[in-house]
Amino acid sequence: MITSKKWPEGRHERGKIGVLFSRVRLEEKLIFEALAKRKIPFEKLDIRAIAFDLERAQGFERILIRCISHREAFYSSRILESQGVKTVNSHKTIRLAGDKLLTSQALMDKGVPTLPVILAFSPQAAMEAMEKLGYPAVIKPLNGSWGRLIAKIDNPEAARSILEHRSYLGEELGSVFYIQPYVEKPGRDIRAMVVGGEVIYAVYRYSSHWITNTARGAYTEPCPITSELEELSLRAAEAVGGGILALDIFETPEGLVVNEVNHTPEFHGAMKAVKVDIPQKIVDYFLQGG
Amino acid sequence: MKIGVLTSRIRVEEKLLFQALEKAGIDYERIDVESIPFLLNSKTFASFDAVLIRCVSHTQAFYASRVLESQGVKVINSHHVINICGDKLLTSLALLEHGVPTLHTVVAFSPETALQTIEAMGYPVVLKPLHGSWGRLLAKVNDRDSAEAILEHKKTLGGYTHSVFYIQEYVEKPGRDIRAFVVGGETIAAIYRNSNHWITNTARGAKASFCPITPELDRIAKAAAEAVGGGILAIDIFETPEGRLVVSEVNHTPEFRNSIEPTGVDIPGKMIDYVKKVAGGKA
Repeated sequence: MITSKKWPEGRHERGKIGVLFSRVRLEEKLIFEALAKRKIPFEKLDIRAIAFDLERAQGFERILIRCISHREAFYSSRILESQGVKTVNSHKTIRLAGDKLLTSQALMDKGVPTLPVILAFSPQAAMEAMEKLGYPAVIKPLNGSWGRLIAKIDNPEAARSILEHRSYLGEELGSVFYIQPYVEKPGRDIRAMVVGGEVIYAVYRYSSHWITNTARGAYTEPCPITSELEELSLRAAEAVGGGILALDIFETPEGLVVNEVNHTPEFHGAMKAVKVDIPQKIVDYFLQGG
Repeated sequence: MKIGVLTSRIRVEEKLLFQALEKAGIDYERIDVESIPFLLNSKTFASFDAVLIRCVSHTQAFYASRVLESQGVKVINSHHVINICGDKLLTSLALLEHGVPTLHTVVAFSPETALQTIEAMGYPVVLKPLHGSWGRLLAKVNDRDSAEAILEHKKTLGGYTHSVFYIQEYVEKPGRDIRAFVVGGETIAAIYRNSNHWITNTARGAKASFCPITPELDRIAKAAAEAVGGGILAIDIFETPEGRLVVSEVNHTPEFRNSIEPTGVDIPGKMIDYVKKVAGGKA
């Protein structure tokens, strides 16, 4: 059973493609339809049903990663790439975009405008960081979507109770604290989607809540792709390694800043606002790009 | 020259490293990772020629090294190395990609597929969490009943580490395994870890004894260190019943208190020599 041979084994079938998913949401259905419309044979791959033998290739040339969980997306793409499969997105992009600290650091390293961040490794240091930044501050888990466990902290009392709750939530949430100043938004933010080297759409997300996420009830309207927005989006996408990415962007008095980057974006909210055939654009890039 | 040592808890190892720094007459500063906030995009660590990462927690070690490297500080180990070694799946892939002999591993993302995989591989197998040290939550699975029970517990534990099922062949060891220390591309010391238990960890009562660095051991230890990116590393190696050596794990912030006496090697001294070389731009 013990082997040490190197890949590749040369068992890839040319042109064999697949879509790897954990749950079939509306987005995945639309992607399947777009592939079917192009008469491209493909396999629907449920990650929960696959055993990934690290030393046995799965026989695909290209796989579109649409897993909901960041862990699943990252590890599966890492294994598949190790076996010579082209994955979209790449494991490098998934790794960076799926981790808020790595995203911030990648954006800052490339000089892309983003929000300041303080990292703290204890509740005491987190308190000190918030005193330094001033209230309100925002504390975020390094991994996570849909605005989950993102907390706006208005004063030291709130800070103490949130930090105490986190200390009960295990190693990942309780030992590293990602803290940002709170940005007052004009009741909206911008979501722009980059596919390859193109900004395919942008929408405003309006919400009376400070978390402007369509999964949390925000509604969308088209947003003009200005040259500032286009340049910022493309630079941000490139900073995390490129591919299919959705960017969350804030309008501040100093200009646009990137807040987050999403590696497996949902887009059904945007489809109500823009006329772009988003699934078709994704499929086009997946089949030809990279 | 100024060296920083980033720590959380001060164990015997950290004390020995401080002593080695003092003996070498190096100006150093101990920084408690939990005592200060780290502002991104700043230059707060610019005065250090190198920073040695000795945090107990992998999460802290990884993110702190990442932030410091962005400041242009030389960090030992680098965040790339910490990232790979702190994750058993990334370690396995790095070893395989570099042709280093390792254990047969299959990964599943649901308890149902994990169970099927275990049945197909045959008992016993070992289930490991992707992150963790000291043999924690390592499970040897001898039969279907225990597979079902352990998988159900993992499902209930949930979260980060337990939703990915890392399943590995079980190797019958001769009552011991080998730990080899590789520092800056050189195998500086090796011990046998003798134990009646299949988890041969000195933190769990295994006894350390001298292990000769044979050419074969030297080769595989160096190859494993190189595969994960090099630096200061401890490689866990199994001797198979067929008489081959295979790499089990690589540790990025090794404990070494029990390895100095049986080997007679000044392990902390060698580590600090390497840190000095890196700080001076010679490694």
